[in-house]
Amino acid sequence: MRANFIFSEVWIGLRRNLTMTIAVIVTVAVGMALLGVGMMINSQVSKLTGYWTDKVEVSVYLCVKNSSFAACKSKSGVTQEEKANLKQTIEALPEVERVEFESQAEAYKKWQQQENNQTLLAVTKVEDMPESFRIKLKDPDKAAAVTSSLKGQPGVANVINERDLLDSVFGFMDKLRYMALGIAALMLIAATLLIGNTVRLSAYNRRRETGIMRLVGASNIYIQLPFVMEGLIAGLIGGVLSGVILIIVKVAIFESIQTYMAAPLGWDTVAGVITGTMAIGVLICVLASFVTLRRYLRV
Amino acid sequence: MIHFDNVTKVYANQNRPALDHVSVDVDKGEFVFLVGPSGSGKSTFLRLVLKEERPNSGSIHVAGKDLSKLSNFKVPHLRRRIGCVFQDFRLLPNKNVYENVAFALEVIGKPRRFIRKVVPEVIELVGLEGKAHRMPEELSGGEQQRVAMARAFVNRPMILLADEPTGNIDPATSIGIMKVLDRINRTGTTVLMATHDAAIVDSMRKRVVELEDGKIVRDQSRGVYGQAY
Repeated sequence: MRANFIFSEVWIGLRRNLTMTIAVIVTVAVGMALLGVGMMINSQVSKLTGYWTDKVEVSVYLCVKNSSFAACKSKSGVTQEEKANLKQTIEALPEVERVEFESQAEAYKKWQQQENNQTLLAVTKVEDMPESFRIKLKDPDKAAAVTSSLKGQPGVANVINERDLLDSVFGFMDKLRYMALGIAALMLIAATLLIGNTVRLSAYNRRRETGIMRLVGASNIYIQLPFVMEGLIAGLIGGVLSGVILIIVKVAIFESIQTYMAAPLGWDTVAGVITGTMAIGVLICVLASFVTLRRYLRV
Repeated sequence: MIHFDNVTKVYANQNRPALDHVSVDVDKGEFVFLVGPSGSGKSTFLRLVLKEERPNSGSIHVAGKDLSKLSNFKVPHLRRRIGCVFQDFRLLPNKNVYENVAFALEVIGKPRRFIRKVVPEVIELVGLEGKAHRMPEELSGGEQQRVAMARAFVNRPMILLADEPTGNIDPATSIGIMKVLDRINRTGTTVLMATHDAAIVDSMRKRVVELEDGKIVRDQSRGVYGQAY
């Protein structure tokens, strides 16, 4: 097998169909990048899910003075007796792992750190913050029973399962992921067809050469290899471009939203995603070339 | 060397067979003319030898191999032992004479040292010494056909198939082409040439196999093209 001969044939083929080659490279790059973004969102979501599932709590907010919650019947706020009763009730529930009390001062401190609206910070007093019980569950999936049994208890303003808040965020990310994967699938189909077409053109352009090769007894591999290599090189360049796009996405998007995401996406994950998408891109290109050759290059 | 036993070939969508129960034997080192009008089955015969087509019935042996038992994988190896020349030369226009001949060796993976040695030899054999670096378009039809013959012969095949090699060439130049074919035949290569050219057949006095409507109507050693033409 003469490597330089094959490579000169490949180079001629790629140059002759330059526009088609560029189309293949761009399609592969975009398709693979979308696939990679889908995979990155996927691993981000699973990381976050793992991180938050450990942390989610059911918060039982207690009535403050002059509470606007309908559940708070008396305008004087929760009494010490109601608090003690609630603590007992909560601790008696079988789903509860542990429970902590958060005072108004603690709540105010936490809120101050998170809030950056100056007017709001100026007018809000410590007494406006609700006291609360923070319940850690043994199994985060069993929150519904706890929520329903605590709602309506005297002194309880509201019960919030933090998991519900997370689920809406995760739901949004899920949609993003499926969208990216769906578009990636379409791009992959387009890439496959484009590669097929490129190889067909290439085979037609070089029918004279391949005819002679057949005649003088060149083996099938020798005749087909330049065409398959064309697909492979186009796929490889597209894969490298998609890798660049994925690095940009990681730096520009994932890094900037990391402020809100407690579990950052590591570079090792990104490297894995890039390797995976490149392998898929090259594989698809090679398979598409090979299948088209079977049809258009009789050997 | 070439052995056809009761071979019939019918192309799809045609009811008349292209070859109809043809049996013929060509020995090693023979020079055989295959004559007959257009559509008589000459080209089909050559394509069957190359295993470009398969017969519907009958058996074909080429260079000691039963073609029906030859797997597709091994067909290239069969073709390396058969050289081919056509009416339309089939040269690569973007390669010069040397490169055209060398191409046949490159694509079967011969080492470069070997190519550098044998290509000039065979270019000399066909009478093109000094023209190795000309492009095909700079050559006359006769010279282009010599390049094609050099390419067909450079791998020293056991059989040379020529499909109307003088069809596009004037009679005076054709004589030169036939001399090259004769020279190749004298090296021990079996030559099978399909032709319409009565003058050439008559002057060479070689074995003549005549086909008509897919049947062999004459097989004569030291024959002529035929009285009817």
